[in-house]
Amino acid sequence: MPLRHPARTRRLLATTAGIVALGLFVAGCTATGSDKPVGEPISGGTLTYASGDAEPSCLDPHVGGNFPQALISAQYLESLVSRDTDGQIIPWLAESWTASEDGLTWDFTLRDDVTFTDGTVFDAAAVQANVAHVQDPTTLSSTGYLALGKVTGTEAVSPTVVRFTLSAPDSALLESLSQPWLAIESPTALERSQDENCAAPVGTGPFIVESWVKQNAITLVRNDDYVSPPADAGHSGPAYLDKVIWRFIPDSASRYAAVQSGEVDVIDNAQPDTIVQAKQSDSLEHLDSPRPGASNRIELNSGRAPFNDVRVREAFMRSANVDDAVSSLFLGTATRSYSALSSVEATAVSNAALFDYDPAAAAKLLDAAGWSETDADGYRVKDGVRLTVEFPVSTNQSIPAEQSVFEQIQATAKETGFDVKLRPLDLSSWYAALAANDYDAVSAPYTKVGPDVLRILYHSASIVPAPSGYFANLAQVNDPAIDELLTTAARATDPAARASLYSDAQNRILEGFYILPLYDQQNHYLLRSDVVGLRTLPTVAVPTLYDAWLNR
Amino acid sequence: MSDLEVQAELAAHSSQSRQAGPARRLGVAEGAAGVFALFLLVAAVAPTLLAPGDPLHIDPLSAFQSPNFAHGFGTDESGRDIYTRVVHGTQYSLVIGATATVIGLGLGIVLGTLAGMLGRVVDFTVNRFLEVLFAFPGLLLALLFIVIFGPGVATATIAVGLSTAPGYARIIRAQLRTVRSAAFVEAATVLGRTRWQVLLRHILPNTLAPLFVLATLGIGQAIVWAATLSYLGLGAEPPTAEWGAMLSAGRTYITSAWWMSFFPGLFIVLTAVTATVLGRSIDRRMRHA
Repeated sequence: MPLRHPARTRRLLATTAGIVALGLFVAGCTATGSDKPVGEPISGGTLTYASGDAEPSCLDPHVGGNFPQALISAQYLESLVSRDTDGQIIPWLAESWTASEDGLTWDFTLRDDVTFTDGTVFDAAAVQANVAHVQDPTTLSSTGYLALGKVTGTEAVSPTVVRFTLSAPDSALLESLSQPWLAIESPTALERSQDENCAAPVGTGPFIVESWVKQNAITLVRNDDYVSPPADAGHSGPAYLDKVIWRFIPDSASRYAAVQSGEVDVIDNAQPDTIVQAKQSDSLEHLDSPRPGASNRIELNSGRAPFNDVRVREAFMRSANVDDAVSSLFLGTATRSYSALSSVEATAVSNAALFDYDPAAAAKLLDAAGWSETDADGYRVKDGVRLTVEFPVSTNQSIPAEQSVFEQIQATAKETGFDVKLRPLDLSSWYAALAANDYDAVSAPYTKVGPDVLRILYHSASIVPAPSGYFANLAQVNDPAIDELLTTAARATDPAARASLYSDAQNRILEGFYILPLYDQQNHYLLRSDVVGLRTLPTVAVPTLYDAWLNR
Repeated sequence: MSDLEVQAELAAHSSQSRQAGPARRLGVAEGAAGVFALFLLVAAVAPTLLAPGDPLHIDPLSAFQSPNFAHGFGTDESGRDIYTRVVHGTQYSLVIGATATVIGLGLGIVLGTLAGMLGRVVDFTVNRFLEVLFAFPGLLLALLFIVIFGPGVATATIAVGLSTAPGYARIIRAQLRTVRSAAFVEAATVLGRTRWQVLLRHILPNTLAPLFVLATLGIGQAIVWAATLSYLGLGAEPPTAEWGAMLSAGRTYITSAWWMSFFPGLFIVLTAVTATVLGRSIDRRMRHA
C-alpha cells in the first residue's frame, strides 16, 4: 500500500475536489418551477418520497411502534377513527361509537363495505384480532401496547359492532385508536409469521405494499378497490397516484439536493437552512406540520446522580442558553417551547419564567447542592467526582441542527461547570444506552395524539419497560402526586375537568425541572410545486398521499 | 561483484549526483510545501500563536457568517470561528497521522523482519497472514477495528496504524531479502559475524533508510484516513475541532454555507499534498545520494 501512496492520495484529492465542485454546482443551480395551472386532479403517475427517518425494520406499526413506521404505514393501513384539524375525533373505519355511563364499555359500529387488500372482510372479528395482536407480548409492541393499557377485552356484538371492555374509564381511548400504531390489519395476514407480516402488512388503505428492497426503497401500488377514506379527506374512491416509491436518504444535504433537482418529489425532515432556501424558490413548497403529543425536550434522569437533586436539575436548565441556540440554528423555522406538550395540543401549559437563562442563579444552586468546588478545567466537583452529564444523542432522531443545539447547550453549561458528554449514537446503541440506565440527559421524541402522552412519559409506571424493552419515562419521574393527577385525568369524562387536571400535572412536571422544553417536534416537508393535494393527517402529522396528484 | 567493486560503484554514483547538481536545488513546490509544513508544525505545537481564540467558543448571534474581516474563514452554525478551529485542529490531525504511521511502521518492521530473516516456515506464515489483511481494503480494516473497539480518537489512530502495517511489512520484507543477498552481507557472513551482528550492523541500517521516505508519505495518507473516519462519525466526536468532523458538520450546510466545509477540506488536501511533495523530494535526494 505505501508503494501506491501518491496514486491513492491523488485519487483522494480528485474525489475531494469533485465533492467540493459538486457542492458549489448544486448551490449555484436555480431550479425552474412548474407554471402549469392547477386544474382538475389528474390520475396516474409515480410519486417518489424520500424519508430522512431511519428505515423501519418492520413495516407493521404494531411491532415496536415508532414514527418512521407511522410515516409509511399511513399509506396502506387505516385506523378506526381519525382526528380533524380542530382536534375533534371523526369517523374512519368505525362509523360511530358510544360509551357506557360508567365509561367501562365502548361499542364501535364499523363500516360494512370494506375489505382488506387480500380479500379478507373487515368486521368486528378483524378488530378483535388486531387488539389481540398488539397485546400479545410476542408482538413486542411498545406504542400501541401502552395506548391499549386499559383495554381488558373485546367482544363481537355483531359482525359490524365491536365492544371494548376497559379496566378503568379511559378519556384518551379515541385519541389512542386514531393513531397509526393501532391501525387495523387483515387478520388473515396477521396469522403469518412476524417476518412475513413485517415485510408486507395488509390493510384497507389507498395503497398496497408491493415490494421492499431493504436499504433502498419500498414500492407501493394503488388499491383500485379503495372505498374508506377518513371523513376529512379531499375526495372519495381510489387514490390518484398509480405508484409510490418510498426511499430512504438519511443524509439531509443529499435529500435536499434530490428534491431540488426533481429526482424525488417529497422529502421529510427538511433542514432549517434548506427550508429558508426553498421558500425563495418557485419550484418547491414547504409544509410545516408540528407533531402532536410531547414537545421536543431534554429529559433529565432524576433516577440517578447528579440529577436526582432538583437543585442540580434547575441549575442545568438555568445554565443552558436555549433561546439563542434555537434562533441561530433554526433560522425562524421553529419557535421556542416552554411546555411539556406540543403547541397543537389545546391542553398545553407554558411557563417561560422557569427556563430563563441565568448562569448566576445556576452557580448559586450548585453551591447549595454541594457542587461548590471547581477543578482545573473549570468543572464543578463534589467529593472528588466531576459534575458530568452523559448525553447519548440519537443521530437518527435528532437532525443536525438539533445536535448543534445540544452542542451549544454543552458550551453554555460548561461555563457554569457542567461537563456535558455528547455521545452521538445510532438508534440501536442509543436504545441500549437508555435500557442500561447509562444516561443523565436525553432527548427522545414521543408522539401520541392528545395530552394522555403525559401519562406515558411521566407516570412512574412507565419506568417499567414495555415488552419491546423501551420505557418511556426517561426522566424517571417518580412523584405520587403527578401519578395521581395523571391517573385521575385519564379517567375524567368531563372535558373541562380533564383539561384542568392535565394543566395541574404539567405545572408540577415543569416546576420539578425534569424536562427542558426546546420546541415543537419539528415536522417539515418540502415538495415539488407540481405535487398537489398533499396533506398531513391531523392525528400524528404524517403525510397522506391519498389526495395527492401530480400536475405535470 | 566483489566488495571493492560495490564500493567503487557507490562512490561513482554519489560523485555523479554531486555533479548533476539540480537535485540539490529546491523546487517551488518543495519550497511551498516546506513553508506550509512549518505553518502546520507551529499550529500543532503552539496553536494559540496563530489563533488565540478558543476553538469551542460559541457565539450563536454571529452564526453562519461568510468569510469577513473579523472571521477570515467565516463562522459555523454555532458562531464558532472556522479559522481558529482549523488551526487548533492541526494538532489532532498531525498527532493522529504521526502516531498512526509510527504504529503502522513499527508493526510492519516486526512482521517484515520476522518474514525476511527467520526462514521459510515463518516467512510462509507471515506472508499468508499479510495476504489475508491485503484482501481487505485498508479503510475497511480500520472500520472493522472500530466496530469492535468503539469509535473515538484513540481507536481511530490505532485503526489507521494497523491498516497501514501490512503494506510496510511487505516492503520491509522485500528490502531485507534484497539486502541480505548483497555482496557486503555475504562478505560479513564469510568473515564469521553472527546472524544478529549481520542483522543489526549491516542489514537493518540498509533496509530502514528508505522507510523514512515511506513514513513521510504515510503521514499524509494517515491524516486523510483519520479525517475520513471522523467524517464518517467514527473518529473525533463533535464539536471537537477536527478537520474530518468539521467537514462532516459543514456538509449539512453545503448549499448555504460553503466555507464551513471548504476550509477544513482545503487543509486536509494541502496537508496531504505537502506530505507527498516532501516525501518524494526526500526520496529523490536519497536515491541520488
